[in-house]
Amino acid sequence: MQPRIRTPACKKEGVPMLSLSRNKNMSNAVMKPQITSLIDVMTILLVFLMKSFSVEGNIITPASDLTLPLSASRTAPQPVTTIEITESAVRSGDEVIATHDSYRKNDSLFIPSLALWLSQHESFRKNEIMLQADKHLPFDILKRVMFTCSKSGRNDFTILVQQEE
Amino acid sequence: MQPSQTGDVPDLDVTPVMNLLVILIPFLVSMAVFTRLAVLEFSLPSNIGSGTSVGNEKPEPKLTVVVADAFCSITLGETMLDSIPIVNNSIETERLRERLTLHRASVTRADEIIVAVRNNVEFEQVVRVMDTCKNAGFTKIGLSNATENPHTGV
Repeated sequence: MQPRIRTPACKKEGVPMLSLSRNKNMSNAVMKPQITSLIDVMTILLVFLMKSFSVEGNIITPASDLTLPLSASRTAPQPVTTIEITESAVRSGDEVIATHDSYRKNDSLFIPSLALWLSQHESFRKNEIMLQADKHLPFDILKRVMFTCSKSGRNDFTILVQQEE
Repeated sequence: MQPSQTGDVPDLDVTPVMNLLVILIPFLVSMAVFTRLAVLEFSLPSNIGSGTSVGNEKPEPKLTVVVADAFCSITLGETMLDSIPIVNNSIETERLRERLTLHRASVTRADEIIVAVRNNVEFEQVVRVMDTCKNAGFTKIGLSNATENPHTGV
């Protein structure tokens, strides 16, 4: 036999008594999601992200296809003309300046395409150049790039490195 | 029996905290820096690249670290002061730093050093040596190319 619940409205005359089943009782209840565990996860995420929060951010974006060497240096990079030396080519951004195969066969240290590119691109810090080079690169390639840059009047070099923790 | 009389503890409403976290976390994710970058400054030695010498005076020798595949030597002019072997492609940076600090006291230009590198040395090794020179107290680092000595083959 189903329980019969008398509501205040039923106490008035002429108002039929409501007959509620247990299933209907449960359907009126509000389901609250358990967010306690979600709060735990969010708190841990918050602490981690606050630890890696940086007001300065990174002014320079390293190229994705090269691995920078580690260094104990703490000097912050400045935005200057950047040359990226990957394992296959000398680039600036998406523009390929010279592939290693095109100049390594020559005995000369001078890279003509790089010199031409440097003459066409001048920054407000005219003598400065930043080199991003893969850590496995042989020094021979770096030497040729530096020689060409110095012949083009760029004598102040900086190397972009990854900070050691 | 009324609910307050049963001793039930009212639940803490964490909805405002969740609202705050939903706003904060995407903001912090966008500002997070996971890789910190730095730069190493160096210059080319004055007698490199131009191919010309200025004046008739003999250039004053600077302390030089020669980096090769199998060894790392410290020289002053034509005199070899020290040599440190490289084992398993790994330089003993602490030992190099100690030797550099020792020899630095005996040179006139105590803040300048030249790192001369052979052609087939990896760039990572070069950066490690430059770091070690900075740790030894040298503020001006010059990068140069080291050629093989035709007499000794070293």
